[in-house]
Amino acid sequence: MTQQRPFFIPFLVPAVLVAVIFAAAMFNVFQYSFLEFVPGSVEVGGFTLDNFARINRPIYYWVLLDTFLLSFATAFFALVLSYPIAFAVVRAERNWVRSVLVVLAITPLFTGEIVRTYSWMLVLGTDGVINTTLKALGLIEGSIPIMYTRPGVVIALVQFAMPVMIILLATAISQVKRDCEKAAANLGATPNTVFWRVTIPLTMPGILSSFVVVFAWTMSAFSTPQLIGGGKVLMISNVVYLQGFSSFNLPFAAVLSLIALGAALGSLGLMKLATARFERKLATV
Amino acid sequence: MIHQKMTALQPDDCAVEINHVSRVFGSVQAVNDVSLSIRTGEFITLLGPSGCGKTTLLNMVAGFINPSSGAIRIGGKDVTNVPVHLRDTGMVFQSYALFPHMNVFDNVAFGLRQRKFTKADISSKVMQAIEMMSLSGMEHRRISQLSGGQQQRVALARAIVIKPKVLLLDEPLSALDKSLRAQMQVELIELHRNTGLTTIFVTHDQGEALSLSDRIVVMNRGQIQQVAEPIDLYRNPANGFVASFIGEINALPPATCTVASDEISLDIGNIRLIAPRRPEWQFASGQSAKAFVRPEHIRIATPADGGRNVVTGEVLTHIYQGSHTITRLNVDGLGPIEMRLPGGDVVGRVPVGLKADIAINLAEVVLLSNTAN
Repeated sequence: MTQQRPFFIPFLVPAVLVAVIFAAAMFNVFQYSFLEFVPGSVEVGGFTLDNFARINRPIYYWVLLDTFLLSFATAFFALVLSYPIAFAVVRAERNWVRSVLVVLAITPLFTGEIVRTYSWMLVLGTDGVINTTLKALGLIEGSIPIMYTRPGVVIALVQFAMPVMIILLATAISQVKRDCEKAAANLGATPNTVFWRVTIPLTMPGILSSFVVVFAWTMSAFSTPQLIGGGKVLMISNVVYLQGFSSFNLPFAAVLSLIALGAALGSLGLMKLATARFERKLATV
Repeated sequence: MIHQKMTALQPDDCAVEINHVSRVFGSVQAVNDVSLSIRTGEFITLLGPSGCGKTTLLNMVAGFINPSSGAIRIGGKDVTNVPVHLRDTGMVFQSYALFPHMNVFDNVAFGLRQRKFTKADISSKVMQAIEMMSLSGMEHRRISQLSGGQQQRVALARAIVIKPKVLLLDEPLSALDKSLRAQMQVELIELHRNTGLTTIFVTHDQGEALSLSDRIVVMNRGQIQQVAEPIDLYRNPANGFVASFIGEINALPPATCTVASDEISLDIGNIRLIAPRRPEWQFASGQSAKAFVRPEHIRIATPADGGRNVVTGEVLTHIYQGSHTITRLNVDGLGPIEMRLPGGDVVGRVPVGLKADIAINLAEVVLLSNTAN
């Protein structure tokens, strides 16, 4: 091991450079949060703690809570929708079925976030695909509002998260020992029982970690709530943007960013604890 | 003892009946027209090299693989199209396949819970099985905290606690080290005696098969080669494959038979071997046959042999094995011959490179028609 160290140090240089630059930027944000806001100017004043005092207003608590709930809902629905697809990807008996599923599941990753969000606006809008179809079928009179609502934002965020979730879940499902499922069936368990009592518990670490990843990822969502929420659904990133680039209150934007970071890290930490417990429980036999 | 058991049974007392079963995977004929009746309470072993179809056959009995053709009956009921969870078989997997997210108790209780027993019933049955497999006190352990041998016992307890119509063992001992394997063999025999469960055991280890089984089914290339009791299989293999697969054996070059009233002479080139004639042999003079001789039926010749069935070979190697020594020789006209000399009698050995006279005892020779293979 010690002999190998000089050999791989050069390969670490790019990563270290990126990390240092990122840390410097983060430190800058941290620094800004303690500087005085001068209205009507992007220049900042001297040291102050006022920015942190400003956070103590219901609107920011609501935004934080909203961000948390929207992220949680997104992770939940993404999980429920992704698991069957990931299961089919792993367990498909025919190779071509597997290939088609993988392509369908992963391709959205390669279209930009803006493109995907605009597509959703076309689908969800007042005269979008959903409303016109329902109207044509005579199921509704007027239009149901989906755009600029929380459900609309969650729908788009879920679709955005699913490819990553499918990849993570497929990895977990592929590691389930088929013999365990066969043993359960052999002992008299119906396919349904095998799934809930064996497959799901054995993939629980993957379920939890993919949930955590999507949750944390969605906490920082910006363009989807910006475009589909249209200012009526605000997540923390949108408020940071408003403060920083509409009001040019960079110090307060910095405070909000730190709080968003803290909230994300905090919830990640909590969920990681839960995951670790499961992983210990399932320590390899 | 086995014979008594056999005669006591009625013909319809079949625990498992495999009827002209075949299975094709793509272009591979994994199991080819296999028929087999397994008696209630019998310990039967499917033995053969890897890829011979024994595991496929076991999986078809369990229901994990559907036969391409043929039918399987368990306890008199046709289960060919019955799904796995309704077949009532208990399987022990090569990998044990214990549930890592459950403790020992819950693993063993799993099958009973599917059968909707009461809580008290489950508890007493599980504890009984745990005690039977000497796992008492470990019921709350995690699977990852158990040794390989203990995991093996849990897998067995989990399979027997449901009192299956047939116990299926898929190479369950292959993951254990040698001393543990010997111990588990003894425990398997006792378990079988105590539970009386009809058992199908799959292995590629002929030693395991010989020591555990009531009957052995030798398979090769998807087909049954022979079904026989261990002793019968060892002494009267049906063909060359069985002869060389079960135990060590020297296959001699083709011989020409000369049949006399109480003996058969076998001429192999210039060598003439004389075997006492057995009633089941149907050889005619002039017919070609193949003789197989076990290493333990060859010894160093003494003057008392008078040259009868004595040949001369050059000693190639001695392989010392503690309780016996295996000596390899090259005999002109017969080729390489392996003999087994009891004890580590190093002094009595003929040094490597020298000639030795060896006497072949043909009383237990395996003689097969040259066409049958």
